[in-house]
Amino acid sequence: MSGGPTQQVGEAERREIEAFVFHEARLADTSQYGEWEALVTEDMHYWVPAGPALGDPAAGLSYINDNRARLATRIRQLQTGKRHSQTPASPMCRAVTNVEARRAGDGSGGDGGDGGDGGGDEYVVTATQVVYELAVQSTARLQLWPGRVTYRLRRVDGMLRMAAKTVELVTASEPQPNLTFLL
Amino acid sequence: MHAYHELVGADQVHGSLYGDPGVFAEEMRQIFTRGWVFVGHESEVAEPGQWVTRRIGREPMILVRDRSEALNVLANRCSHRGTALCWEHRGRDSSFQCTYHAWNFGLDGALRAVPYPAGFEKDHAELGLDRAGQVESYRGFVFANLDGSAGPLSGHLGVGGTDMIDRLCDLSPSDSITLGPNWLGHAVGSNWKMWPESDNDGYHLNWVHASMVSSAPDTYYQETVLGGETGNQSLAVDWGEGHVELDFRPSYRRELAWLGASRDKVPGYCAALEQARGVEAAGRLLWDGPPHGLIFPNLFLGELNIAIIEPVAPDRMVQWHTAVQLEGVDESFNRRLLRQSEAAMGPGAFIVPDDAVTAERMQLAMSGLGVHDAGVRRGWVDMSRGLGREERRADGRRAALISDETTNRGFWRQYRTVMAR
Repeated sequence: MSGGPTQQVGEAERREIEAFVFHEARLADTSQYGEWEALVTEDMHYWVPAGPALGDPAAGLSYINDNRARLATRIRQLQTGKRHSQTPASPMCRAVTNVEARRAGDGSGGDGGDGGDGGGDEYVVTATQVVYELAVQSTARLQLWPGRVTYRLRRVDGMLRMAAKTVELVTASEPQPNLTFLL
Repeated sequence: MHAYHELVGADQVHGSLYGDPGVFAEEMRQIFTRGWVFVGHESEVAEPGQWVTRRIGREPMILVRDRSEALNVLANRCSHRGTALCWEHRGRDSSFQCTYHAWNFGLDGALRAVPYPAGFEKDHAELGLDRAGQVESYRGFVFANLDGSAGPLSGHLGVGGTDMIDRLCDLSPSDSITLGPNWLGHAVGSNWKMWPESDNDGYHLNWVHASMVSSAPDTYYQETVLGGETGNQSLAVDWGEGHVELDFRPSYRRELAWLGASRDKVPGYCAALEQARGVEAAGRLLWDGPPHGLIFPNLFLGELNIAIIEPVAPDRMVQWHTAVQLEGVDESFNRRLLRQSEAAMGPGAFIVPDDAVTAERMQLAMSGLGVHDAGVRRGWVDMSRGLGREERRADGRRAALISDETTNRGFWRQYRTVMAR
């Protein structure tokens, strides 16, 4: 990822960012909903568009387009134990690779629309992700979810937190099976 | 042909009908080739040259508006060697040109030009694209009948189909709706018929959607379908012709409950509707809201969502959906409808994924059944709930409590009629 000198991250920051991303991936893989939710900011946007993540998410229909309140409902629903489409939770593992990070500030963050300048405490991170998911709730099919992930990470009280996660599925233009786990 | 009169009874259907490949093939002919099928909405192809791809049964089709503004439903298949002409979901072109030998077709399906024409002796008029035998619209909803034998659309829609489309379109100050900017597809490992059933089943919500009910308790479903067997006045309705409805109107306790709003939240919309319909009629519309029902066999009007039920294989289907958008209202109103649609419908939503996994579990459980099992009392699906308390109303509707299986019986009654014809 290119960027001016002011947008480059140092080695220590890079290690910290990667550690955050891998931690987030592990919590999602293991459906630890509460622990995962603790990673997000109060303005979190969780977005799985039905095509490239271009333009204003509010203008179209997305597979998932959660503001913080709706994300809280999603987590609460999963935690009821009666969310049949994730009962039991899908066994999953995901490979997160090609991680690139830069400081936010040029307004080109992947979470279209806000374009906010996060100053020195915000990072835009992109990665390639493939989730392997077994639909044990019914079909027992192995489902693959390849895509490009863009995170917006922010330092809050010294800790990295996730302010946005956008997953652009390779298959976004085609029908999707149930997508009620954390992508 | 299978003996459908024996496989579909008044209060039960045989499980083999959900998975038998021969049944599926016969459905594609008897229901999707010989009958009227919903194809799309006129607003999707508002301008000449705009097209969308659809399936009628399993046959790939193109809905396109031609230069004379007429709607055409054409086979997406070059008449020369059978190559698909369109492979994206939608587009806009001045003609269709095959990528194999560059045969060129007009927007009306007529063959216009072929390279090296001297080698062909047939008249071009014989080599136009295959097309649906009948195409008709009602208030912007476009239907087609592939083999041209189905009679007028008005006969298919009947009282119920007409009434449900009217009630939806009347909510728009301009008289007609448009669709959201895109369709989302939900791929489900079930037979397509689980969806006319589940989309219109008023009995399952407390269990299939228990997680939604407890995590988002303030929806209008509380007053319309939850609250026990006699806790509401909603009706399960069989309109005839396979068109069925969960009629929430008797249960609403206030205006705009179906929108999760009140007049002060959407003043622009209310004013526009009063302007268009008059105060009294607008008031009734704001109370009654949109329908929740099926237009046989593949169009689900899910309040402010439109869904297409697309069969793929005996054990696979796609439910496509988009949001209803109204004309003559401010943008924030339509954005609200998009957000409601994202919450309810599609693979990541709060409601329908739990219907999908239930349908997949039905498919799993019935996958071993064959039609021969019907005679030995194995594998029957009970659909008897409320049969004894159904009433035929003055308006012709057959109705019972919202949790009664009147809607499902209505679908299957039409199924039996058309499959056995």
